[in-house]
Amino acid sequence: MHGRNRFYLVATIMPAVTFFVAFFVLPMARLAVESTFGPEGIGIYLKMLTTQRYLETLFWTVLLSFGVTLVTLVISGISGVFLQRNDFPGKSILVAMLTFPLAFPGVVVGFMIILLVGRQGIVGDISRAITGEKLVLAYSMMGLSLGYLYFSIPRVVTTVMAAAEKIDLSLEEAARSLGASTWDVVKDVLIPALTPGLISSGAICFATSMGAFGTAFTLATDIDVLPIVIYTEFTLSANIAMASALSILLGLITWGALTLARTAAGESLAAAA
Amino acid sequence: MKKRAHLFYAQLGLTLLTCLFLVVPVVQSILAGVTKNYFRGVKSGLTLKWIFKVWELYRDTIFTSIFIGVACLAITLIIGVPAAYFMVKKKSRFTRLMEEFLVIPLAIPGLAIALAILISYGQFTSFRKSWIIILIGHVVFTLPFMIRSVIAIMSAINLKDLEEGAASLGGEFWNRFFHIIIPNSMPGILAGSLMVFTLSIGEFNLTWMLHTPFTKTLPVGLADSYASMRLEIGSAYTIVFFFMIIPLLLAMQWIAKPKKSTAINADELKDMPMKPQQTKPAANPSVNAPKANRKKDSTSIHLRNCGKTFPDGSRALEPIDLDIDPGQTVVILGPSGCGKTTTLRIIAGLENPDEGGKVLFGDDDVTDIPIEKRNVGMVFQSYALFPNMNVAENIAYGLKIRGDSKEKREGRVNEMLSMMQLEEFKNRKIDQLSGGQRQRVALARAIAVRPRVLLLDEPLTALDAKLRDSLRIEIDMLLKSVGITAVYVTHDQGEAMALGDKIVVMDHGRIAMSGSPRDVYFNPENHFVADFIGTLNTIESEVKDRMLTLPSGKIPLNGIKHLESKTEGPVKLFFRPEHTKIVDPGLGHLKGNVVSSFFMGDKTSLVVDVQSAELIKIEAQGIQKFTNGDRIELKLDLNHLFTF
Repeated sequence: MHGRNRFYLVATIMPAVTFFVAFFVLPMARLAVESTFGPEGIGIYLKMLTTQRYLETLFWTVLLSFGVTLVTLVISGISGVFLQRNDFPGKSILVAMLTFPLAFPGVVVGFMIILLVGRQGIVGDISRAITGEKLVLAYSMMGLSLGYLYFSIPRVVTTVMAAAEKIDLSLEEAARSLGASTWDVVKDVLIPALTPGLISSGAICFATSMGAFGTAFTLATDIDVLPIVIYTEFTLSANIAMASALSILLGLITWGALTLARTAAGESLAAAA
Repeated sequence: MKKRAHLFYAQLGLTLLTCLFLVVPVVQSILAGVTKNYFRGVKSGLTLKWIFKVWELYRDTIFTSIFIGVACLAITLIIGVPAAYFMVKKKSRFTRLMEEFLVIPLAIPGLAIALAILISYGQFTSFRKSWIIILIGHVVFTLPFMIRSVIAIMSAINLKDLEEGAASLGGEFWNRFFHIIIPNSMPGILAGSLMVFTLSIGEFNLTWMLHTPFTKTLPVGLADSYASMRLEIGSAYTIVFFFMIIPLLLAMQWIAKPKKSTAINADELKDMPMKPQQTKPAANPSVNAPKANRKKDSTSIHLRNCGKTFPDGSRALEPIDLDIDPGQTVVILGPSGCGKTTTLRIIAGLENPDEGGKVLFGDDDVTDIPIEKRNVGMVFQSYALFPNMNVAENIAYGLKIRGDSKEKREGRVNEMLSMMQLEEFKNRKIDQLSGGQRQRVALARAIAVRPRVLLLDEPLTALDAKLRDSLRIEIDMLLKSVGITAVYVTHDQGEAMALGDKIVVMDHGRIAMSGSPRDVYFNPENHFVADFIGTLNTIESEVKDRMLTLPSGKIPLNGIKHLESKTEGPVKLFFRPEHTKIVDPGLGHLKGNVVSSFFMGDKTSLVVDVQSAELIKIEAQGIQKFTNGDRIELKLDLNHLFTF
C-alpha cells in the first residue's frame, strides 16, 4: 500500500480507538485500581470471597442466570425452529409478538412482570377465581426468573430462527431417505446444526442475565442479586472499593462465559448476536 | 402423518403460550394506562387523563431521550463506520484485539461500565451534571453494535474488488470511501443506526447510575414512576414508550426482510443468442478514434526484476523481467498459483514489487505510483461493478474523477454504450444484468477513461462455455480495433491462443516461456510448457549410435529437427495427438491396442496402449469406428517430436 493511503486508513480507526481508550479502557483500569484503595487494599478480594453474603449472592445470581438460560434455550429452540419451518396463517403476528419485547429496557420488563404476577396481576386474579388464593410471584426469585425469561426469549428466538434458516434442508431429507425417524432427524441433524448458535446465544443470554440491573431494580426488593448488591454498596454504603471489586468479579464471570462459548462455538459472536 | 400433526400442535401450543406470556402484560399495561381506576377494572371507564398527566410530568424525559439518542447515533456513525471499514480491510493482531472489544457491551454489565466512568470522570462536576456523561455511556454501549452491523455488510459485499475497481479508475481514498464503500454498506449502516437509536432510547443500566435529577431519560423516568406513582400513570408512561419504539421496530423488520429484486423479466436476464446485427462483433471501430491515432497513445510495459513476497513469507513471484510492446496483447497463462495474477496486479499497481523491482510504462517509472494515478483500465474477474450505480454511472465513474464536464461524460458514455451494444441497458442496475452484459459493462468502464494499458484478470472465467466463446471473439475484435496495450490473465489455453499476440506461460512464480502462440505450441522450450498447452504423449526410447530406437526399428537421428543434437542413452519422446497418423500394418512406428474410444462428432479420440510407460492419446476422423482391443499402427510426424 502506498504511504498516503496507509495514513488515511489509520485515520479511519483513530477516533474509535481514542474514544474507547478514554471512556472504556482507562475507566475500567481505574475501576480495578480503585477496588484496592479501600482499607483492606488488595485484601478486598479475599474479603469478597469469604463474606457469606457476597458468596450467597454470587451463587444465586449464577444459578438464576444459568437456569433461565437453559429454559430459554429449550423454549426458544423449539419455537424458533417451529416458526422457521412451518407456514400458517397468523405466523408473522406470532413472530412479531415474540420479538416485540426485544427493545424493552429492564425496568419495563420488571413492570410487565408486576402486571402479570404482581399484587394486582392477572395471574393472581385467575388463581383467586380458581383456588381462592391469590398467587403473587413478582417479588420472589420466581418473579425474577420470569423477568429474565421475558427479556431472554425474544433475543434467543431471533438467533435460532436465523440459524434454522441457514440449515441445509437437504441434510434432513438425506437423513429421512436413510430411514431416520422424526426424532432421529432432530437429534442427529437439527440439534447439531443449531448447536453453535445455541451455545453463543446461550452465553449472551447468561451474560445479560448476570448483569441485568433494570429488571432486578424493579423486582428484587428483597432478593440479593449481584447487580443490586453492587448498586447498594456504591450508593447506600458508599463502599466504592467493594462495589468496584464486585463489578470486576461480575465482568470477569460474564466475559469468561462469552469467551468460553466463543471457543466452543468456534465462530465469532458477531455473527450470532 | 398423525404423529406429525400432534408434534405440530404441541409446538404451536408452546409457541402460543410463550407469546401470551410476552404479550398479556403489554396489553394489561395499555389497558391500565387508559383506565380510570385500574383496581376497579375497565368498567370504571376509559380515559386519556393519565397520558396527559404523563406528558405534563415527564415530557422532559422524552425530549432528553430523543436528544441523547440522536446525538449517540451521530457519534456512532461518525466514528463507527470508518472503524468498521478499517477492521474489514486490515486483518492484523490489532484488529483481533478490536474485535475482542466488540463483545464488550454484552460481556461487561452496564452497571460496571457506568461505575468505571463515574470513578474516572465523576470529579469533573459540570461534566458529571450534564447530559454529556450519559451520552458518553450510551456511545460506549452502542458503538460496538454499529460497528458489528456495518462489518457484517462490508464482509458480505466484495469490498476489496469494488475498491480496487474504483482505484483502477482513478478513485482516491476518500472518493472510494464516500462514493463506493458507504453507499454499498448502506443496509448495514441503516440497520446499525436503528439498533443504536433504539438501544439508546431504552438504555437503563448505565443511565440510572449516570443521571442526575436534571438529566432524566425516559427509562429513568419510567423507573421513577413505577416506584412512586400510581399504577395507571406508570402504565400510561409505558404506552408512550411503546409508541416511541414501535416505529423503530417496524423499520428494523422492514430492513431485515430480504428485498425482492426489482422486477425484470427473467428471460431478459438470460444471455440471448446473438441478434443478427450482433453477429458482427460488438466492438465497432467506426465509432472509435482512428486506429493509427490510438496506437500512438498506447504504451509499452516493462517489468524489471519484479518479485513478490507476501508478508507471511510466501513467495508468489520470483524476480522476473517482462517486456510488452505498445499495442500488443500479451496473455499471461498458467495454472492457479503460478503468479500470473500477482504479475498483473504489480503492473496495475495493486501490489508493490519487492525491493529492487521496477515497473515502467514506456519511459515512465511508475513503481511508486498508486493504481489510481497510473491511468490503467482494469477488468476484474468478479467485474467489480458498483452495485450502487447504474450502467451509465458505472461507465462515467472514471470520467467524473478525471473532471470531465457533464456533456463530455455523456458523450463518451454513449459512445461506449453503442460500441458495446449496451444502449438499452443504460439505466439498469447491475443486479439486473446477465453475466455477459456485466462483462461488457466492465470492459466499457475500463476503456472509457482511455487508459494507457488495459488489464484483464480472467474476465471470462465466470461465464458459461458458449458465452465465453462469443465474448472472446468480441474482446479480440475490440483489442485489435482499439489498439491498446493489453495484458490478459487466464488459465485457459484456448483463450490464450486465440487472443494473444504473445503468450507468457508461468509456473511456480517463474516465466516458463514467452513467445507467439505458434512458438509456444510448436516449439515449447520445456516439458511444462509442452504439457500445459495442448495434449502431450510420452514414449520411452533410446539413442544409440546416432540412431533412435522405435518399436518398428531404428531411425537415423539426422534430419529429425529437435533430436539431432541428442546424446547417447535413454530418451523420452513427446508428441501431440495430431502429429500421428493411423496407417496400414507395416508402415507405422508404433503398434498398439485401442483401450477406449470417444466419438466426438468431428473426430474420434482414442486412448492407445503402445506398451510404453503411459497410454497415449490420438485422434482419428469421426467417421472411423473403433472397438476396444483393435490393433492399430501409428506413424509419427518426426519433425514434431520433442525431447527436453
